[in-house]
Amino acid sequence: MGGMPNVQVLRDVSRRHAFASTELLRRSYLFVARNTTLPANVRLQAQLQLTNMPGNTRPSVVKNRCTLTGKGRGVLSKWGLCRYQFKQRAMAGQLPGVQKASW
Amino acid sequence: MASAITNATKVALTRPSNERLMALRQLQCSIFSTTFNPTSARTGAKYLKGRMRGPSMVDYYPKTMSFRDINRLYPGLDLVDEDEEQRVLDLMARKARGKGPPPKAKKAGEGRRAAKKKR
Repeated sequence: MGGMPNVQVLRDVSRRHAFASTELLRRSYLFVARNTTLPANVRLQAQLQLTNMPGNTRPSVVKNRCTLTGKGRGVLSKWGLCRYQFKQRAMAGQLPGVQKASW
Repeated sequence: MASAITNATKVALTRPSNERLMALRQLQCSIFSTTFNPTSARTGAKYLKGRMRGPSMVDYYPKTMSFRDINRLYPGLDLVDEDEEQRVLDLMARKARGKGPPPKAKKAGEGRRAAKKKR
Protein backbone atom coordinates (compact mmCIF):
# COMPACT_ATOMS: atom_id res chain seq x y z
CA MET A 1 0.00 0.00 0.00
CA GLY A 2 1.08 3.57 -0.40
CA GLY A 3 3.04 3.69 -3.62
CA MET A 4 3.72 7.02 -5.25
CA PRO A 5 2.18 10.03 -3.50
CA ASN A 6 -0.64 11.79 -5.30
CA VAL A 7 -0.46 15.38 -6.42
CA GLN A 8 -2.11 16.75 -3.27
CA VAL A 9 0.56 15.09 -1.17
CA LEU A 10 3.31 16.44 -3.43
CA ARG A 11 1.84 19.92 -3.06
CA ASP A 12 1.73 19.49 0.71
CA VAL A 13 5.34 18.27 0.77
CA SER A 14 6.47 21.31 -1.19
CA ARG A 15 4.61 23.54 1.26
CA ARG A 16 6.32 21.82 4.15
CA HIS A 17 9.72 22.40 2.57
CA ALA A 18 8.81 26.02 1.82
CA PHE A 19 7.87 26.57 5.44
CA ALA A 20 10.95 24.82 6.80
CA SER A 21 13.31 26.83 4.61
CA THR A 22 11.85 30.19 5.68
CA GLU A 23 11.00 29.37 9.27
CA LEU A 24 13.94 31.27 10.76
CA LEU A 25 13.12 34.39 8.75
CA ARG A 26 9.45 34.15 9.71
CA ARG A 27 10.34 33.79 13.37
CA SER A 28 12.60 36.82 13.22
CA TYR A 29 9.90 38.98 11.63
CA LEU A 30 7.38 37.70 14.18
CA PHE A 31 9.74 38.59 17.00
CA VAL A 32 10.17 42.15 15.74
CA ALA A 33 6.51 42.64 14.89
CA ARG A 34 5.21 41.38 18.24
CA ASN A 35 7.85 43.11 20.37
CA THR A 36 6.09 46.06 22.01
CA THR A 37 9.38 47.53 23.22
CA LEU A 38 10.46 48.31 19.64
CA PRO A 39 9.44 51.48 17.75
CA ALA A 40 6.08 51.28 16.00
CA ASN A 41 7.39 51.89 12.46
CA VAL A 42 9.95 49.08 12.79
CA ARG A 43 7.23 46.71 13.96
CA LEU A 44 5.00 47.81 11.10
CA GLN A 45 7.76 47.13 8.57
CA ALA A 46 8.28 43.65 10.02
CA GLN A 47 4.54 42.98 9.83
CA LEU A 48 4.48 44.11 6.20
CA GLN A 49 7.38 41.79 5.41
CA LEU A 50 5.45 38.96 7.07
CA THR A 51 2.34 39.59 5.00
CA ASN A 52 4.45 39.85 1.84
CA MET A 53 5.99 36.42 2.35
CA PRO A 54 4.69 33.80 -0.12
CA GLY A 55 1.52 32.09 1.02
CA ASN A 56 3.08 28.63 0.84
CA THR A 57 5.60 29.54 3.53
CA ARG A 58 2.84 29.86 6.14
CA PRO A 59 2.61 26.92 8.56
CA SER A 60 -1.18 26.96 8.44
CA VAL A 61 -1.36 25.89 4.78
CA VAL A 62 0.25 22.58 5.69
CA LYS A 63 -2.27 19.79 6.13
CA ASN A 64 -1.66 16.43 7.72
CA ARG A 65 -2.92 14.03 5.08
CA CYS A 66 -3.10 10.26 5.26
CA THR A 67 0.47 8.99 4.96
CA LEU A 68 -0.65 5.94 2.98
CA THR A 69 -3.38 7.16 0.67
CA GLY A 70 -3.00 10.95 0.76
CA LYS A 71 -6.62 11.37 1.79
CA GLY A 72 -7.20 14.82 3.29
CA ARG A 73 -10.23 14.17 5.45
CA GLY A 74 -10.94 11.72 8.22
CA VAL A 75 -7.27 11.45 9.20
CA LEU A 76 -6.48 10.23 12.70
CA SER A 77 -3.60 12.46 13.72
CA LYS A 78 -2.09 10.02 16.20
CA TRP A 79 -1.39 7.45 13.47
CA GLY A 80 -1.39 9.74 10.44
CA LEU A 81 -3.83 7.39 8.74
CA CYS A 82 -7.27 7.99 7.29
CA ARG A 83 -10.13 6.20 9.03
CA TYR A 84 -10.34 3.36 6.51
CA GLN A 85 -6.62 2.58 6.55
CA PHE A 86 -6.73 2.88 10.33
CA LYS A 87 -9.55 0.37 10.55
CA GLN A 88 -7.87 -2.10 8.22
CA ARG A 89 -4.61 -1.96 10.12
CA ALA A 90 -6.28 -2.04 13.51
CA MET A 91 -8.32 -5.09 12.57
CA ALA A 92 -5.19 -6.80 11.29
CA GLY A 93 -3.49 -6.07 14.61
CA GLN A 94 -0.78 -3.93 13.05
CA LEU A 95 -1.32 -0.92 15.33
CA PRO A 96 0.18 -1.58 18.78
CA GLY A 97 -2.25 -0.93 21.63
CA VAL A 98 -5.30 -0.65 19.39
CA GLN A 99 -8.04 -3.22 19.84
CA LYS A 100 -11.69 -3.45 19.01
CA ALA A 101 -13.90 -2.14 21.77
CA SER A 102 -15.89 -4.81 23.55
CA TRP A 103 -17.76 -4.62 26.86
CA MET B 1 2.67 38.73 76.39
CA ALA B 2 2.67 41.64 73.97
CA SER B 3 5.49 43.41 75.71
CA ALA B 4 7.84 40.53 74.76
CA ILE B 5 7.89 41.63 71.07
CA THR B 6 11.13 43.44 70.63
CA ASN B 7 11.84 46.29 68.26
CA ALA B 8 13.92 44.06 66.01
CA THR B 9 11.03 41.60 65.60
CA LYS B 10 8.74 44.48 64.63
CA VAL B 11 11.13 45.54 61.90
CA ALA B 12 11.37 42.00 60.61
CA LEU B 13 7.57 41.59 60.56
CA THR B 14 6.82 44.79 58.58
CA ARG B 15 6.42 44.34 54.83
CA PRO B 16 9.41 45.61 52.82
CA SER B 17 8.74 48.55 50.53
CA ASN B 18 7.72 47.90 46.93
CA GLU B 19 11.05 49.22 45.69
CA ARG B 20 12.93 46.75 47.84
CA LEU B 21 10.73 43.88 46.66
CA MET B 22 11.31 44.93 43.04
CA ALA B 23 15.05 45.06 43.64
CA LEU B 24 14.86 41.58 45.13
CA ARG B 25 13.09 40.26 42.05
CA GLN B 26 15.63 41.92 39.80
CA LEU B 27 18.42 40.29 41.79
CA GLN B 28 16.65 36.91 41.55
CA CYS B 29 16.42 37.29 37.78
CA SER B 30 20.10 38.17 37.48
CA ILE B 31 21.09 35.19 39.64
CA PHE B 32 18.91 32.61 37.88
CA SER B 33 19.37 34.30 34.48
CA THR B 34 15.69 34.80 33.80
CA THR B 35 14.11 37.85 32.18
CA PHE B 36 13.18 40.73 34.45
CA ASN B 37 9.95 42.07 33.03
CA PRO B 38 7.88 43.60 35.86
CA THR B 39 5.27 45.20 33.57
CA SER B 40 4.81 41.96 31.57
CA ALA B 41 5.49 43.86 28.36
CA ARG B 42 5.26 41.72 25.22
CA THR B 43 8.81 41.21 24.07
CA GLY B 44 8.16 38.57 21.43
CA ALA B 45 10.52 36.22 23.26
CA LYS B 46 8.20 33.28 22.71
CA TYR B 47 8.86 33.45 18.96
CA LEU B 48 12.56 32.94 19.62
CA LYS B 49 12.22 30.38 22.41
CA GLY B 50 10.03 27.75 20.78
CA ARG B 51 11.54 24.78 18.99
CA MET B 52 11.77 24.90 15.21
CA ARG B 53 8.76 23.13 13.69
CA GLY B 54 10.11 22.76 10.16
CA PRO B 55 12.18 19.56 10.52
CA SER B 56 9.35 17.51 12.05
CA MET B 57 6.90 18.91 9.51
CA VAL B 58 9.14 17.85 6.63
CA ASP B 59 9.42 14.34 8.11
CA TYR B 60 5.65 13.75 8.25
CA TYR B 61 5.31 11.63 5.13
CA PRO B 62 7.38 8.44 4.80
CA LYS B 63 10.17 8.67 2.27
CA THR B 64 9.38 7.27 -1.17
CA MET B 65 11.92 6.18 -3.78
CA SER B 66 11.21 6.81 -7.44
CA PHE B 67 13.18 5.37 -10.34
CA ARG B 68 14.70 8.79 -10.82
CA ASP B 69 15.92 8.83 -7.19
CA ILE B 70 17.46 5.37 -7.50
CA ASN B 71 19.20 6.24 -10.76
CA ARG B 72 20.52 9.43 -9.20
CA LEU B 73 21.83 7.53 -6.18
CA TYR B 74 23.43 4.74 -8.22
CA PRO B 75 24.42 6.26 -11.58
CA GLY B 76 25.71 3.00 -13.12
CA LEU B 77 22.56 1.01 -12.45
CA ASP B 78 20.37 2.58 -15.21
CA LEU B 79 17.09 0.98 -14.16
CA VAL B 80 14.27 1.40 -16.65
CA ASP B 81 10.90 2.68 -15.46
CA GLU B 82 8.58 0.69 -17.70
CA ASP B 83 5.51 2.76 -16.83
CA GLU B 84 7.31 5.95 -17.80
CA GLU B 85 8.62 4.40 -21.04
CA GLN B 86 5.09 3.30 -21.92
CA ARG B 87 3.71 6.76 -21.17
CA VAL B 88 6.23 8.40 -23.47
CA LEU B 89 5.52 5.81 -26.20
CA ASP B 90 1.78 6.44 -25.89
CA LEU B 91 2.33 10.18 -26.15
CA MET B 92 4.44 9.73 -29.30
CA ALA B 93 1.74 7.52 -30.80
CA ARG B 94 -0.90 10.13 -30.04
CA LYS B 95 1.22 12.84 -31.58
CA ALA B 96 1.72 10.74 -34.74
CA ARG B 97 -2.07 10.51 -35.05
CA GLY B 98 -2.35 14.29 -34.81
CA LYS B 99 -3.65 14.22 -31.26
CA GLY B 100 -0.79 16.20 -29.76
CA PRO B 101 -1.10 19.62 -28.15
CA PRO B 102 -2.23 22.44 -30.50
CA PRO B 103 0.46 24.83 -31.74
CA LYS B 104 0.97 27.78 -29.45
CA ALA B 105 0.74 31.39 -30.65
CA LYS B 106 4.08 33.15 -31.07
CA LYS B 107 2.65 36.48 -29.93
CA ALA B 108 -0.42 37.57 -28.00
CA GLY B 109 -3.44 38.04 -30.27
CA GLU B 110 -2.25 35.52 -32.87
CA GLY B 111 -3.80 32.44 -31.32
CA ARG B 112 -6.57 30.36 -32.85
CA ARG B 113 -9.13 31.82 -30.55
CA ALA B 114 -8.10 35.38 -31.36
CA ALA B 115 -8.29 34.63 -35.11
CA LYS B 116 -11.82 33.27 -34.71
CA LYS B 117 -13.06 36.45 -33.04
CA LYS B 118 -14.90 38.92 -35.28
CA ARG B 119 -12.82 42.00 -36.22
